[in-house]
Amino acid sequence: MMSFYYSYQPLIDFFLIAVGLGYSQQLALRAGVFSIATAGFSALGAYATAILVTRYGVPVPAAILVSAVVGMAVSYVLSVPLARLRGAFQAIATLAFVQVVIALLLYFESFTGGAIGISGIPRVMNTGWLLLAVLVTIYVIWSINRTSVGRVFNALRQDDSVAASLGVPIKSYYALAFVLSGLIGAVFGALRSLYVFNIEPVDFGFHAMVASLTVVVLGGRNTLLGPIAGALIMAILPELARPLAENRGILNGVILILVITFLPNGVGDELVYWLRRRLRRAPKTMSKRKEGADVVAAD
Amino acid sequence: MLLQQILNGTVSGAIYALFALGFTLIFGVQKLLNLAHGAIFMAGAFIAYYATAQGLPFWFALLLATIATGAISVVVDFVAFRQLRKSGHAEFAAIVTSIGVDLILMNIAQQVSNTKVLSFPFGTFPVKFFSFWGMRISLLQLTILGLVLVLVLALAYYINRTSFGRQVRAVSSNEHASALLGISAAAVYRQTFFIAGALAGLAGVLIGLSFNSIHFMMGEPFLLQAFVVVVIGGLGSLQGAVVAAILIGIVQSLTIAYLSSELSTAIIFALLFVTLLFFPNGLFGRAGNYAGGSRR
Amino acid sequence: MSSLRIEDACKYFGGLKAVDGINMTVPAGRITGLIGPNGAGKSTVVNMISGVYSLTRGEVYLDEQQLTRLHVDEVARCGIARTFQNIRLLPEESVLDNVVIGYFRKQRSGVMSSLMGLPAALAETRRLREQAWELLGRFGIQKYADYEAGSLPYGHQRRVEMARSIAAAPRIVMLDEPVAGMNEVESAEMAEIFEDLARSGMGLLLIEHNVAFVSRLCSQVYVLDSGRMIAEGPPEAVTRDPKVIEAYIGGKADAA
Repeated sequence: MMSFYYSYQPLIDFFLIAVGLGYSQQLALRAGVFSIATAGFSALGAYATAILVTRYGVPVPAAILVSAVVGMAVSYVLSVPLARLRGAFQAIATLAFVQVVIALLLYFESFTGGAIGISGIPRVMNTGWLLLAVLVTIYVIWSINRTSVGRVFNALRQDDSVAASLGVPIKSYYALAFVLSGLIGAVFGALRSLYVFNIEPVDFGFHAMVASLTVVVLGGRNTLLGPIAGALIMAILPELARPLAENRGILNGVILILVITFLPNGVGDELVYWLRRRLRRAPKTMSKRKEGADVVAAD
Repeated sequence: MLLQQILNGTVSGAIYALFALGFTLIFGVQKLLNLAHGAIFMAGAFIAYYATAQGLPFWFALLLATIATGAISVVVDFVAFRQLRKSGHAEFAAIVTSIGVDLILMNIAQQVSNTKVLSFPFGTFPVKFFSFWGMRISLLQLTILGLVLVLVLALAYYINRTSFGRQVRAVSSNEHASALLGISAAAVYRQTFFIAGALAGLAGVLIGLSFNSIHFMMGEPFLLQAFVVVVIGGLGSLQGAVVAAILIGIVQSLTIAYLSSELSTAIIFALLFVTLLFFPNGLFGRAGNYAGGSRR
Repeated sequence: MSSLRIEDACKYFGGLKAVDGINMTVPAGRITGLIGPNGAGKSTVVNMISGVYSLTRGEVYLDEQQLTRLHVDEVARCGIARTFQNIRLLPEESVLDNVVIGYFRKQRSGVMSSLMGLPAALAETRRLREQAWELLGRFGIQKYADYEAGSLPYGHQRRVEMARSIAAAPRIVMLDEPVAGMNEVESAEMAEIFEDLARSGMGLLLIEHNVAFVSRLCSQVYVLDSGRMIAEGPPEAVTRDPKVIEAYIGGKADAA
């Protein structure tokens, strides 16, 4: 077990970061906000922490806190125009946001290091801390799923006019989902910068956007298992595809197409839905039903 | 100097228009975002490059690339979108499958080119300049402007005046009803994807020639640019796309000349954001993109 | 007694006068009917009251409070609930959860306690699930509680939607064609529930095609035709009104 851990440690650490960013992406989607802004939030978080720690000697926990606040503030401001848009337009607006962030990182060279980025960031993160961050995130989302906010998010995704007709202030809840997405994205961006020594703008570009979207698509958009399953596939896939070496891009592309076409809900969600159907077949006395219902609510 | 920048911007804008027209055509008909459009654009440049490298004349390479990318685009539709159309709820899924196709095409191009930056041999297109009113315009720029003008007019004629155009509009407003009228949606999709791909491939060749740089990732910035163009112009609006593309081309060439290229990207995307803020459907967009919860 | 009133309400779509200067009162503790042939503008009235459409002219009041310019969610929070003519459930949620979301207005635990999974929020969810379960029993669909709402037959989906609309004990509920597609026995079951709700003090507005059903239940009936109110009064009087007969016979045959 320990030797497995040592030989795969970097893989495990990047898996944990991918899970965190996956939850950031998932939270927006499951509430019906078609955002692909997670890469932008993680860029803001990563740069805020890196600049504060390397330039101003700010203690790491305080820097992470600042990143979290930056993520929440920016996502809150963004949520206002986003609430006026729908579907594909939201995707494009958030994509524009990521491009603006990256362009500005490149432009303010004296502050951000331009294309070279920032190096010499102390490596204070390890598997333990990353695991802790992921577990806290999972706890929050698990809590959401079992209470009012989760019900509202699900309603917004499926039919926001119905949610409004039941008294839900839908713009506030869209904003809440987006701010939570921004918070989680920025924090995991910060943690990532404290793991990789140096960060540059390209780390957060189109590929980062595709990566966090991929995690959620492969894993699933609605259940707690989704991002874990998705990140696991994305972590294992390159290992399995190692013999294919240069053809990995083709393999990734083929898998994306196959999964979304034949398992449109994603591997993790399909698994959970299958389990739900199994549970539904159990005898339905009130007590049995509630047990089943709790398990269902707990995903 | 200023006029020269505006002229250069208009030429780039004309090429963006070719790219964005296909993108917006697909969106107009299917309501789907095709993120593989950048890779098809790149494929056009690649095919033309390897064709000229084989000694074929440039005009033939251009034609070959245009037709081949049209065909690739039809295959993309078959692989990435056809299945999704059947299942419904394709808006999200289409983004993902087209990213998948994008990855595949880029990977192939990367291997074919060994990750190198390619360029057309000197003299592929005659280097010749004309001067007027203190501005310089190359034969290539002039050709591009002429070609784009002809293609845009032809497309406008095709969409607005022919029976194919009527079929496209019927299918885009209601696929089911148009099936009852005997219109084959599948054929309409094939044609729109062919036209969109051919235009993108042609734009790829022209860009590859203008900047003399062909690379497996060259489509990405143009795809991002196309988002800006189609949103400002209104998703699905062809005239809007042309106007917006030329506008963006000019803004870009001015900001690069007088400010910096990084700031130029920031300004263009900020422009997109501001447009969305005040015109949620774009400048020329149709209504229907309203937010829920407020009275209408 | 509280009541919902609309005064001189108009809704024009371009040149089309979908609703043209109508007055109507829906008192608490009573069942009021709104009938009229297809395309008369009945659902437009519901959408004007609930905040989906802005009014071209006129006002909507709940007691003395003006609702005319409130948004959909604000109107709902004032205690006005509705169902939709073309049934709108959350298709991926279970039947039970579709009803639980109906309690939104009555929830007490805040967003923070939900995010942190505090015991109060979890206990509230448990309590609401139990209440929703009881409510499903009242509508006779308890055994479908765990099914995906989208998989239920049409008539049962209507019941789920009605259960959701009355979950948070609104002061006024507008039911858009509540018994469409139901047989005699099922309609009678629904009628019993509606009378119970009225007795408990809720004001009901039934939007219906089915004149017989409305006549049996309502104390007051309004008849809409081409956007205008052509008759109002007790059902016996209204159904004998020549203008109403003309509108129905001369209009759509399916109205009876």
